[in-house]
Parts: sequence; C-alpha cells; structure tokens
Amino acid sequence: MTLPALPSRRLPLAIAMGAAISCTTASAPPVERFVVRSSWARIADSGATSGAYLEIVNNDSVSRSLVGVATDDAAAAEVHETMQHEAMAHMMPRTDLPIAAGAVLTMEPGGVHVMLVDVRRALAVGDSVRLRLRFSDSTDVPVTVPVKTP
Amino acid sequence: MRRRLSRDGVRVVDVLRRGMVLASAVLLTACDLSGGFKGMAVDPPREMPSFAFLRANGSSFSTAPEPGRPMVLFFGYTHCPDVCPTTLADWKRVRATLGDDAKSVRFVFVTVDPDRDTPAVAERYAQMYDASFEGVSGDALTTSRMLDAYGVAAAREPGTNATGYLVSHSPQVFLVDSHGKLVALYPLGTGWDALAADLERLL
Repeated sequence: MTLPALPSRRLPLAIAMGAAISCTTASAPPVERFVVRSSWARIADSGATSGAYLEIVNNDSVSRSLVGVATDDAAAAEVHETMQHEAMAHMMPRTDLPIAAGAVLTMEPGGVHVMLVDVRRALAVGDSVRLRLRFSDSTDVPVTVPVKTP
Repeated sequence: MRRRLSRDGVRVVDVLRRGMVLASAVLLTACDLSGGFKGMAVDPPREMPSFAFLRANGSSFSTAPEPGRPMVLFFGYTHCPDVCPTTLADWKRVRATLGDDAKSVRFVFVTVDPDRDTPAVAERYAQMYDASFEGVSGDALTTSRMLDAYGVAAAREPGTNATGYLVSHSPQVFLVDSHGKLVALYPLGTGWDALAADLERLL
C-alpha cells in the first residue's frame, strides 16, 4: 500500500499527530502485576463464618505467592484449601500459594477459599466485603468482593 | 498430621474409627448398578434408625419416615466456610429445580459440632439458605448415635486463635426414601443435578 504524498505544509501537522499517538501509546497504564476477577463471597449472619472466592492473575514475569489476606470486615481472614483425606473433608491452611508467571489462581467451592471468621455485620446478597491481598513481593492489593447468591 | 482432640460431651473422636468402618461399608456396598440412581445407589437399601431433636422453640423434629416425603441429609457445622455452605446452596438449586414437588422433600442439616451450634444456630444457618430447610443440633448421645448409624466420621482439628477449632467431617449427602431406607449417597463433588434427578424419581 502506497501512501499519498503529503503537501509539505501539512507535514508538521502529520508529524505532530504521529508524536501525539506515540505519546498516547507510551503513557498507556502499565499492566497491573496482580489482577483479581470473578470474586464473590457467601452470605452470612453477623458473627458467623463466610467464605470468599477469587481468581488472581499473576502478570509478573516470575512466580509470586499469595501469602495472606487481611480485612476489617471480619475478625480474621485465612486462606484455606478443602482437601479430602480418609473419607473426610479437611481444611488446610495455605499461607504461601504460588502463582506461576502469567498463571491464574482460581479459588472455588471445594478447593481454595478465603475463610472469613466472625464477620462484623450480616452479609446479604448485594453487600460486599473489602479484602487486602498480600503477595510475596510485599504488594498489597485491595479488592472489594461482592456477596452473591449462594 | 491430624490431631484428634479429646472433648467432653459428644465423643466425636471415638466415632471416627467406627464411622470410617461404616462409611467404608456403605461405600463398598454402594454402586450405580441398581435402582437407576444418579448418585451412588445403596444396594440393597438400608433401613435407618430414627432420631429425634428439639428445635430452639421447644418443638420436636424426628427423622422418622413420613409417607411420600423422602429426606435429604447432610452432616456439617456452621463455622464451615466451604463444603457446608456449598452443599446447602446446592440444595437450594435442587429445590428450585423440583418446583412444587420440593415441598415433599425434607432437607435436613445435622450439626457435628453441637457444642458451638445450638439448635437455634443450626436452624438459622440452614434457613438462611431456604426457609424450608431443617437445621438441627442434637444432644451428645443423639449426635453420636446418628453419626454412627450413617457412618459419618468427624474429628476436631486445631485451628487458629481466630477460627477456634475446625471440624473435619464426612462430606457426603444421604438420600433416605419415604420408607426410611437409605437409597443413595452423593460424595463431595457430585453435581447437584444428580440429587435433583433422584428426588424426581422418588417423588
């Protein structure tokens, strides 16, 4: 494809436009190191236990771990994994969950989840809980998790 | 390594070994070759003893068979953030699928943690998912005997200061027909549609 020749007086404008496009590209927001998506939490009475599930994308070029979750909306938040052993379901604490570079950690019922202990207020569908995810590189990622129909 | 903690009241720990044996027996005799169940059919169906509970308001609830009313049972505890709410949420879907027929089904959540789950707490927990769900907490002896009868294992596990102790437990759902016979099991991970299909078959 051949571009038509530009009159010389339009050349500065074309250069300026090109520069503007270049600048726009250069100033595009960087890719977030960790992206949280498809998060949801369970209904619960005030003072009861809830659970939250998230998908966490590690956009970093190296493996990173989820090392903890904090919240002001419950007495404590702990990452657990449901495991079956000797015909029983057990909850195993997970304080270091590696996520390979470019991989996704998917929490789901029957697997990895965030246990919310003693929630500060009743959680109904439409409410949300605020969590802070702590990663092994000391990054803290705040996330608002909606309470959804169980 | 799991630590088995002693406790007063319900001897959950003592139940563990017997529960494991019974659970194994039930699972070994369960197969999908008879009855056409989507779950694991218990062949032959096993007649189950009945158990009585007191609700928070003083009324009684019994697992004794009721004509035309199959019963779905699950043993869990209200501090459980994953398996138990997943099961109750699945029941809600089953109930919605069955439509008006669901009124004939008794969905019963039995706590394996009666020390923390009072009858009021167990009832509230179940009814948070559906007002028709029964949540019951028995005395120590009733709980122990019922766990034994169904081959349900349960054991306290150490937790953190925040969680207090955790309870590991058998996660399967039981289907008892309207004659009081255990006809099928649904191990953890079984799709809720299997239970819905089997209930449709029984109703």
